[in-house]
Amino acid sequence: MAAVQVGKRMIGADAPVTVGWDNIGRVEGGPIKQFIFTYFQPAVLFGLILFWYYAPNAIAVASTGLMIGLGFKALLLILEWVNPRYDSWRLTWKEFATDVFYVGLGYTILRMVDSYIGDGAMIEAVQGALDWDKFAWFTGLPLLLQALLISMMFDFGQYWMHRGMHNWHPLWLVHAPHHYITQLNVNKGAVGNPVELFLIGLGIGGFFDFLPRAFLLAGVFGMAVSTYQHINVRFNTPAWWRFVFNTTEHHSVHHSQDYEATRSNYAGTWIIWDRIFGTCIDGEAERLGMEGGRRMDIRETMVFPFVEGYKSAKAALAKRVGRSASSAPQLEPAE
Amino acid sequence: MKGPTGGTASAVAGRWVNHRRQAEPTGKNGMNLPLIDVIWRVRGQLPLDAPMAADEAFARLDPLFQTPGTTYGINDDTLTYTKRNPAAQDRLATFTRGSLQIDQSAQGTVLRYDLSSTALLLCLLAPLLFLAFAQLAVAANAWEKSGAEASETARQDQDKPKAVGKLNPIDAFLGAPAPADLNKRNDKNQKDGRHSPKPGYVLAGLFFVIYLVGRWLEPWLIRRQFRAALSSALPVEQSYTKVR
Repeated sequence: MAAVQVGKRMIGADAPVTVGWDNIGRVEGGPIKQFIFTYFQPAVLFGLILFWYYAPNAIAVASTGLMIGLGFKALLLILEWVNPRYDSWRLTWKEFATDVFYVGLGYTILRMVDSYIGDGAMIEAVQGALDWDKFAWFTGLPLLLQALLISMMFDFGQYWMHRGMHNWHPLWLVHAPHHYITQLNVNKGAVGNPVELFLIGLGIGGFFDFLPRAFLLAGVFGMAVSTYQHINVRFNTPAWWRFVFNTTEHHSVHHSQDYEATRSNYAGTWIIWDRIFGTCIDGEAERLGMEGGRRMDIRETMVFPFVEGYKSAKAALAKRVGRSASSAPQLEPAE
Repeated sequence: MKGPTGGTASAVAGRWVNHRRQAEPTGKNGMNLPLIDVIWRVRGQLPLDAPMAADEAFARLDPLFQTPGTTYGINDDTLTYTKRNPAAQDRLATFTRGSLQIDQSAQGTVLRYDLSSTALLLCLLAPLLFLAFAQLAVAANAWEKSGAEASETARQDQDKPKAVGKLNPIDAFLGAPAPADLNKRNDKNQKDGRHSPKPGYVLAGLFFVIYLVGRWLEPWLIRRQFRAALSSALPVEQSYTKVR
């Protein structure tokens, strides 16, 4: 298979990946469709920033954000139906029902557990231990600057956690089920082993006792940028947007069946973190997943880290015991 | 009499397509619960426009079974199959077991099918799980409430006045609303407890709706799929499609 060299890496040796922006698909259709799918993303982002900046205190609350988030996802489901990126990623009834199950876990049992042992508990503990008056310099900054810093710091934490997941076996075991998704749809971000959600949620941005409005503004970047990671919609995304922000294109490369391509584009919102740390690959891919595109069912997703972890630990133990048993020097092949 | 034939899809190599075993027709050796199996079983018949031999009909339907994870067998006029964890775009992904029979009657050729779906069954059971989560939230609130009453320090922390935040001059100039006084905040969640059972109830209802949609939509789609396959000489497309 023809591979393309990106830096020191060969991308696309295992599975097809389109590298660079030159051969990326464009929106097909009349001028109205072209207009909508070119300006939709920036219009939503700036519209939401204006909303959260000027909304009265009674409206600028987390529950409003939750409702806007749900409405936005419903709108994106319609866009997936109207203008899909790939027909091979079409949402089916079974895929939708499966995705909603994972989303449902996040809104119910995982949220509860998280408040006791996850980042909810950690934020509470740190806030109780520190003198937050010392951070008045931060909460006195302009709102948009606060929001930008919160979003970028949180994403910085997520970048390194995600990169760690791809480079350290125990963390990879909890992240691997998410890489068995074979197509991108609005709710696919929630598909994975629940343990992963605790780890990926542990960003450092949450430790600031910021103004609620700045937090809500920071959430706009998560909603109006990060949501597009897992989505089957073809956009003519502006060049400035894909230079700064993560896109479906970037994330499809990250999920491709090509091993080297998966070790790229780790950021959730700000792809510039990948550009800075040398892991960005511009491009897109259609064939996604692991083991040639094997779909992982819910049962296996839930037990995968534990089953595979047990196997790995057993193998490592057997290797160590075997090594100590045969302590005599071994012959080594000549150079 | 012709012997049984069949095969295992091998379009994609891997450990998940190498199970070859004779599929059993649903309802004969499988679970047979006529009163409630309508939840996960779909039976139907499709009269064909022109008379067609079983061999030809199954040849036309063959692409539906040439997919990863599929095992099938043909015995005379009956095809039985099982699909183990089918791909997302597998046309029969919802119905993972079933039998298809070509019946030659005086009225013409009829395809009779009897399909079984684990996904539909689990979708109808999912509301029970989310109702359980909702009840868990209620129980956790009650447990926390009893703990909070005993903890005097927690109450003292809550009574500590919080500083009112100041707006940056730039934001004041641009007209952003001033920060709310957190001391005047009437937090309803503090009274009801921090775990809301509402998402559990909403999701239980949502899964019931998804089930109803699936129970109507999926049989309609598969019937359309069978009709298209049997009326066309072209194989059903299962491959990756054009890039838009």
